[in-house]
Amino acid sequence: MAAQTPTYSEEAALSLTLAIVASSPGPLLLLDGDLRIVAASASSAEAFEIDVLGTPGVSLSSLGAGEWNLPQLRSLLDATLAGAAKIEAYEMDLKRPGRPTRRLVVHAQRLVYLDADNQRLLVAVTDVTDARASEAAKDEALRHNLILLQEVRHRVANSLQIIASVLLQNARKTDPDETRSHLNDAHNRVMSVAALERQLAGSGEAHVELSAYFTNLCSNLAASMIADSEHISLVVTGARGVVEARVSVSLGLIVTELVINALKYAFPDRRPGKIAVDCKFQGPNWTLTVADNGVGMPSDPALVQVGLGTSIVRALVKQLSATLEIAPAHPGTRVTIDRTRIALVDDDAGGVAANSAAGHPVAQAS
Amino acid sequence: MDRETLPGAGVTLLIVEDEILPAMALRDELEDAGYRVMDLTSRPQEALDAALGRKPDLALVNIQLHGRDDGIELARELKSMGIPVLFISGQGSRARMSRTAAIGSLPKPYSSRDMVLAVTYLLGRLKGDATRERPPGLEVFDAVPDAA
Repeated sequence: MAAQTPTYSEEAALSLTLAIVASSPGPLLLLDGDLRIVAASASSAEAFEIDVLGTPGVSLSSLGAGEWNLPQLRSLLDATLAGAAKIEAYEMDLKRPGRPTRRLVVHAQRLVYLDADNQRLLVAVTDVTDARASEAAKDEALRHNLILLQEVRHRVANSLQIIASVLLQNARKTDPDETRSHLNDAHNRVMSVAALERQLAGSGEAHVELSAYFTNLCSNLAASMIADSEHISLVVTGARGVVEARVSVSLGLIVTELVINALKYAFPDRRPGKIAVDCKFQGPNWTLTVADNGVGMPSDPALVQVGLGTSIVRALVKQLSATLEIAPAHPGTRVTIDRTRIALVDDDAGGVAANSAAGHPVAQAS
Repeated sequence: MDRETLPGAGVTLLIVEDEILPAMALRDELEDAGYRVMDLTSRPQEALDAALGRKPDLALVNIQLHGRDDGIELARELKSMGIPVLFISGQGSRARMSRTAAIGSLPKPYSSRDMVLAVTYLLGRLKGDATRERPPGLEVFDAVPDAA
């Protein structure tokens, strides 16, 4: 059985119309042919601070402090009433004294119904301020990512340059008999930077988390240089702290040189032992230590050879404005690189961006 | 080869680079080619002081020094002192944007040997020698140093 269409009195029909407008979840205005308000939704009151109960009969252009009195809007609404136009998405700025400007999208529809003498216009308003701000934030994030990508490319170029330079220095200072050994060293230096680049590419960050970087780095060194993993272990410990990428390049090369040096000279004749890499953070300061329990340095200073590796370490320590200490560890040797700086005063190369407290073992490469 | 006949004989260079290892390699290669290289520095003020003490024939300047683009302003100041500048930077686009401050750019990564060729080419070009072939990777700008 078909439902019967209910019949309303004129008064009831008007009441229903006003109730529909009032209950709209989005700002909604019903205007007459003179653009005076017939009804406004409760949501209009919340969004635009309109006194709904006081608005019937009030001209749209006189609402508030006159912020709706926009000639272009009025022209469009008049044209819509005349059937000459249709407003589907008119964007306007709602500027109210002492309040932030809101971006609005206005949709207006002339109502076609039985009473041709009383024109009615239904105006829906959407506040897109927050949505537009979100879009702008996304655009900004995209722009920032592009800048980061450029920075990474720049960093890659710098890193390759460093490695190429070290290889050249190697070639210049190497005796023919030592060529193979030095080429192996050069390979490890390339890998130290490659490990960093990989970590940077994976994280997309401008800073490098050192314990993860050193763990990866030492794993590569162990894999390439420790033929018999039974007798030498390579361990990375320390707090999880981050440094600027360019600082991490230097620290990675320092660790590479010191570990290579220990592997070459600290454990002759298959002497078993351990190499420990540790980095501690305290505020903006950090301390990197590479220690072994091998045979130690020659007691006669004249027998201490200053090779390319040592020169590289000294140069990088200087670049970082850090200090270098090489001391006996009984047994073995301990090399300590200490960077102490005063926050907010010294802002150059050795910056530490963040740190965390607890040290813990993170890897064993044996 | 007699050092007097090397391409860099009698020519003084200034290197301003905050990556010390590339700077050292570059210095060694340039010195092997006969150039006299002033003390390495990464600080703009140190570079200007050194240039006032002994005017180099060419300055090789990295754009980004200690995280800032100070190399561009340094290049402008050196140019005003009549010292031509070659940008040595991974930031090729930044170098091109500042092309009025330098006579050329050899972007990273470069080999030190390529840099020797670039320096020799640019110095020859400044003297009007157009016979040399431009080394690969070298961008040549039209800026000329101001009169000293």
